[in-house]
Amino acid sequence: MATYRLQIVSLDGVEYEGDVERIMLRSIDGNVAVLARHMNYCTGIGMGTAHVTLADGTVKRAACIGGMLSVMDGVVRVFPTTWEWDDDIDLERARAAKERAEQRLKDEALSNEARLRAEAKLLRALVRIGSARKKNY
Amino acid sequence: MAANMKAVKLRIKSVQSTMQITKAMQLVAASKLRRAKEKAEKSKPYLNTLLETLVDIANGNHDFRSPYTKASENSKWLYVVIAGDRGLAGGYNSNLFKFMESEIKGRDIEVLPIGKKSVEYFKHRNVPILTEEYAEVAKITISDCFSISKLLCDSYKDGRFGHVFLCYTDFISMMSQVPTSSSILPISDLAEKDAKSDNKAKPLILYEPDSETVFNAVVPEYLAGVLHSSISISVASELAARRTAMEAATDNAEEMIENLSLFYNRARQASITQEITEIVAGAEE
Repeated sequence: MATYRLQIVSLDGVEYEGDVERIMLRSIDGNVAVLARHMNYCTGIGMGTAHVTLADGTVKRAACIGGMLSVMDGVVRVFPTTWEWDDDIDLERARAAKERAEQRLKDEALSNEARLRAEAKLLRALVRIGSARKKNY
Repeated sequence: MAANMKAVKLRIKSVQSTMQITKAMQLVAASKLRRAKEKAEKSKPYLNTLLETLVDIANGNHDFRSPYTKASENSKWLYVVIAGDRGLAGGYNSNLFKFMESEIKGRDIEVLPIGKKSVEYFKHRNVPILTEEYAEVAKITISDCFSISKLLCDSYKDGRFGHVFLCYTDFISMMSQVPTSSSILPISDLAEKDAKSDNKAKPLILYEPDSETVFNAVVPEYLAGVLHSSISISVASELAARRTAMEAATDNAEEMIENLSLFYNRARQASITQEITEIVAGAEE
């Protein structure tokens, strides 16, 4: 299949740069997949697992949260706020974060702001757990 | 002569203790620099490609429904100025402020200072300050960047200012750091000037679900990202500037000590010679 140039640049540096067949990720409007020769395009990134299909057909997964995806004259650039390849996700830490957020949300007296923050933490933890490499299965 | 020698000795001691301090500061800056440089080098591609992409978008955009994209009528400028927490970093802070003064000529401005030196500078000049909450550049975390970005977005939407500008020091290499500025809001300010004047067809960009939603979701994160990376770059620049300045200070101190010891030894020898001459002269009588 036709490939195109993909750059993934997060705050932690260049996460990926090279030719790929496809990237699929969760945008603010639902899942999108970008194939070669896509028109100029721009959308915000939501929270979810991103799948990158490399030129040789292997699929890499990553947790991808926030930021922007742009297609400009055939070059696809992804600027995620958080981008973690499935191998790099600390599953234990994500699980602990999920527990903590759930505990906090049980508290009735939680202020609105703190509740929102805890909900965001829970969502991030869930995305990480969902994107982490499935071992033992 | 004896009194003079004592003064020289004292002077050598004082230069030596100053040298100890500058040497220590140089070593501290050098060791911190390594990590800061790594961080800066990591965030540089993000900042550069992000700004590049937004310039492309600004050039191609003709949908101005989002408040972040349309050119603003408001002539008030907000400057986010990232300087250091401490002095003794050569021209790091003063170069940035000088550069900034040349930028703001004739503009109605307000600032958001980041770094203690920046807060002090604008307070001293009675420039209106948006908030002093982020005075310590060394303590700013990624979540602080998000709250700064939220503050910027909210006050921008309220119409408190019409343009947001960012001033920071770019880290070119260990030896060279250059004050830089970049327009960050509204997106239309990023468009190249010459692209505006000619009427050639702009490439169409598809926004999904629509440009307003996209920009409203993306701009706060873009601002936070830009702030975070420019802060990391500035911190690396500050440390590099301090290291260079302290290295020069240490070298100067070494040279001074050398000259002073030479002078001291000469004076000592002269006084011994004189004493011998006096004794010999006394014995001859």
